[in-house]
Amino acid sequence: MKTNKVLIGMLLILSFVLGACGGGAQPAASNEKVTITVWDYYGEATPVKPLIEGFQKENPNITVQYESMDWDTTLEKLNVVLTGGTPPDVVTVDMTWFPKFAALGAFTDLKALSGGKLNGAAWDQAYTPGGLEAITYNEQIVAALYDFDVYALYYRADLLEQKGLQVPKTWDELKDVSQKLAEGDKYLYQWLPETFHGSQWIYENGGDLLSADNKTVVFNSPEAVQAIQVYLDMLTNKSAIYWGADQGERIQGIKDGRIAMFSDGPYNMGIMKSAAPEMAGQWRVALHPYGKQPGSYLGGTGLVIPAQSKQKEAAWKFIEYAMRLENQIGVYKYAGAAPALTAALQSPEVNAVDPYFGGQKPFEVFLEAMKTAKHFPYVRQWNDIDVAFSTAMEQIGLGQKSVKDALDEAAATATDAMSK
Amino acid sequence: MSRNKSLLYFLGRFWIYLVLIVSSFLMVIPFYWSVGTSLKLEQFVFANPPQWWPSPLTLQNYVSVFTKIHFYRYFLNSVFVAVITTLAHVFFDTLAAYAFAKLTFPGRDKLFFFLLLGLMVPFQVNLIPLYRIMATLGWTNTYLALIVPNLTSIFGIFMMRQFLITIPNDLLDAARIDGCNEFGVFRRVALPLALPGIATLIILTFMGTWNDFLWPRIVTSSEALYTLPVGLAQLQMKNTSNVAQIMSGTVLTALPMIIVFLFMQRQFIEGMTAGALKE
Amino acid sequence: MTAGSLPNQRTNRLGKYVMPYLFITVPMISFVVFLLVPMVISLWWSLNDYSGIQPAKFIGLKNYIDLLTEDKYFLPSLWNTTVFVLLGMGIGPTLGLLTALLLNQKVRFQSLFRTAYYLPVMTSLVVVSTIWVMLYNHNGLFNSFLTTLGYQPVGWLSNPNVALVSVAVASIWQGFGFETVIFLAALQSIPRELYEAAMMDGANAFQKFRYITLPSLRYVIAFVYIYGIIGSYQVFDQVFVMTSGGPVHSTSTVVYYLFSKFQDLRLGQASAIAYILFAILVIFSYVELRMSREKE
Repeated sequence: MKTNKVLIGMLLILSFVLGACGGGAQPAASNEKVTITVWDYYGEATPVKPLIEGFQKENPNITVQYESMDWDTTLEKLNVVLTGGTPPDVVTVDMTWFPKFAALGAFTDLKALSGGKLNGAAWDQAYTPGGLEAITYNEQIVAALYDFDVYALYYRADLLEQKGLQVPKTWDELKDVSQKLAEGDKYLYQWLPETFHGSQWIYENGGDLLSADNKTVVFNSPEAVQAIQVYLDMLTNKSAIYWGADQGERIQGIKDGRIAMFSDGPYNMGIMKSAAPEMAGQWRVALHPYGKQPGSYLGGTGLVIPAQSKQKEAAWKFIEYAMRLENQIGVYKYAGAAPALTAALQSPEVNAVDPYFGGQKPFEVFLEAMKTAKHFPYVRQWNDIDVAFSTAMEQIGLGQKSVKDALDEAAATATDAMSK
Repeated sequence: MSRNKSLLYFLGRFWIYLVLIVSSFLMVIPFYWSVGTSLKLEQFVFANPPQWWPSPLTLQNYVSVFTKIHFYRYFLNSVFVAVITTLAHVFFDTLAAYAFAKLTFPGRDKLFFFLLLGLMVPFQVNLIPLYRIMATLGWTNTYLALIVPNLTSIFGIFMMRQFLITIPNDLLDAARIDGCNEFGVFRRVALPLALPGIATLIILTFMGTWNDFLWPRIVTSSEALYTLPVGLAQLQMKNTSNVAQIMSGTVLTALPMIIVFLFMQRQFIEGMTAGALKE
Repeated sequence: MTAGSLPNQRTNRLGKYVMPYLFITVPMISFVVFLLVPMVISLWWSLNDYSGIQPAKFIGLKNYIDLLTEDKYFLPSLWNTTVFVLLGMGIGPTLGLLTALLLNQKVRFQSLFRTAYYLPVMTSLVVVSTIWVMLYNHNGLFNSFLTTLGYQPVGWLSNPNVALVSVAVASIWQGFGFETVIFLAALQSIPRELYEAAMMDGANAFQKFRYITLPSLRYVIAFVYIYGIIGSYQVFDQVFVMTSGGPVHSTSTVVYYLFSKFQDLRLGQASAIAYILFAILVIFSYVELRMSREKE
């Protein structure tokens, strides 16, 4: 008897709980009240949070449930909710997560949802060709590129000037300048053993990671081997510093003088300004030196609507609002990152003289770099390729294997993964 | 006693204390260093030579922790979840342990062995299925998801069983003859005798819940529900980590646990000594 | 059997057969719903090619076979984990026993020392790892110490030959206090008469340790090793925070590798990894239990 009562009680509670939380799933008619959930990984300096007030004023029927979390957590949680559960309606997504999600069809096609237009302009008007390419998969547009990331050379202009050196434009010049700049374990070029930087050197020598049809691994081609060899030479002749896990954050190396040159994206400007304000005027950016042609990976943050979202219309409204020119400028204003909208990039607020960078207009450089940058291939096996390639970069940097051996072996591993 | 012998004794004591002092010192240095770091300005964190005493001493990092994140909210969530979970463990684990230790019923040993198998499953693999169960129940992003899957623990049952097994059966039988039903026997005889073990259980459970990171961070998505470790992870943004600030967050997470331990230390150790793991 | 005794017997039987099950109801339900069901689900996934987003495709034992024969990183991860366990279990309990023996010598301030050893145990692995990352930093405390003494700085977390040991050292530091406390508790419950009798027989300190202390600690030692090994085979947090499995996979452990498969939404492979680990631990515990029973 007693157990029965307990059981019935438990069931009642259960059904109450289920009932209480099961609502709110119906697609909404236009004037019905809806709630959209937005996940934001920007952190303190977010350009997303400030949008909410204005957006809700314009759309009194849409309530924005805003949730902030760090980058790692966003990826983990996104994995979990996409595979079962209730995903948010708008998410900030790192473009490096894209290959897997795009290949699995995890995001809504915005081309159809938007009727081909972003805030009244055609998509190809809004972005540079490379930017548009980066959000296109299987002829669908699966994200609105929100901020972009391409690599350029950051360098200590003050040191170059002291030693009477010119800004390097080619690999040969880089080799020369970095050697003259280095003083023991100070003023070095930051050598990073991963795919972002390794691929940049390969692109700059006319090579690639995968063939144009994304079917064949080519990061062990003669151009690629040669490129990585040049990269390695900087380490061997002690003009670069191998940046392993125990070197800590780059910003430490920037501040204590270990690093005088490195390659990275525009978001890093924001970090330097807030973490190393005392270095104002010492740094500049320039197109990264190259062998045959300029090159860089292209990434950034995309705003996406998960395929299972129940509030796609409202979510799209939010994305369009976030992509308005004045709000895109906020990406720079709040986060110090580069807005992806071409118009925003060229706006006087963003493309302005920057006293921290000695009065240059840094975004001109990044816009230039964007023209030749390319995103990582969108194939399901991207992670395997990335792991194989970055492992090879580590082996090369640590001197465990020769450039050719390491890349050949990694290519074999990657090819194997591709065949599955 | 000969002089020689007392000298030997003295030397022996000397070495014992020396080893104890040096080793405790080594244990405490990393803590000292993290507290010290939390009181430094960021630019002196990796100063060379290292700053043993922060100079200038600053509370700035703590101030920013409190202004940047909703520390109190996370703290209260952590306390709430840890207290409820601990209470549930004390009741359910001990009760089940009593059944496994002192009652005979068909299938007892098989069931117990079955439970023990559960210890060998890495939690990471159950993460997604468990999340799906939560989603089906509609519990994601509620306190229920933080608490209910963790109402009992196999380890707790195992540990309490080791305790209760040492209680003499005569005591239990005496109570039975007095007309107590099994629950009465448990409550009046077994529970009081298991108190030292319960102190150990309380500490271990509280500690496990307080420090849990993976599950709460997956199953909560609104800030209002974050526990302390999840909330503090927000300080660690990609590429911009401020070491001194992270250390102050770290100190603030570890401190409550250490205080709980200091207060309950005596009972905890007694519990270990009294019955612990004697078989 | 008389009519009058029936109801009484019935309550007795109720007490005897129903009560025990009532007592274990909540743990059993919780075990089934929150552990067994997920385990069965992931066992099923391990037989599928499953991303969680696209429908699952049944492939039999292929995930297992691939992991054990083709996968470049799985067996090395298993090996790394084994090295980690050997280091941890070789050093941790020994340190625990040594410190417990010292503390058991009627020292003053015993609780103070004990607290010092136990402090790291109370602290979460994430916190401990964060602290050690700072200590292991290229310009961190350890390297400043080495350079002051005139040695070269060590790449604690960037040298593939050192990183796993660094992770293990931090873990031992974090965990051995638990063993100190357990051993100390067990030592204090060894009857004093045993030692007194041995003294009469003229036993020296080593003999007392060999013939009284060690045998009395048999169960505790078995407990410490079984739980220690099960726990450290599942090492994850330290690797996640300190090295992300690098450099060159030298610190990639089984559960870390499982996690990276999960991050790549290869749920079938991730589940298969878990079940291989599960099988290893079950076999190991079984052997261990058999061995300790045979000794009796």
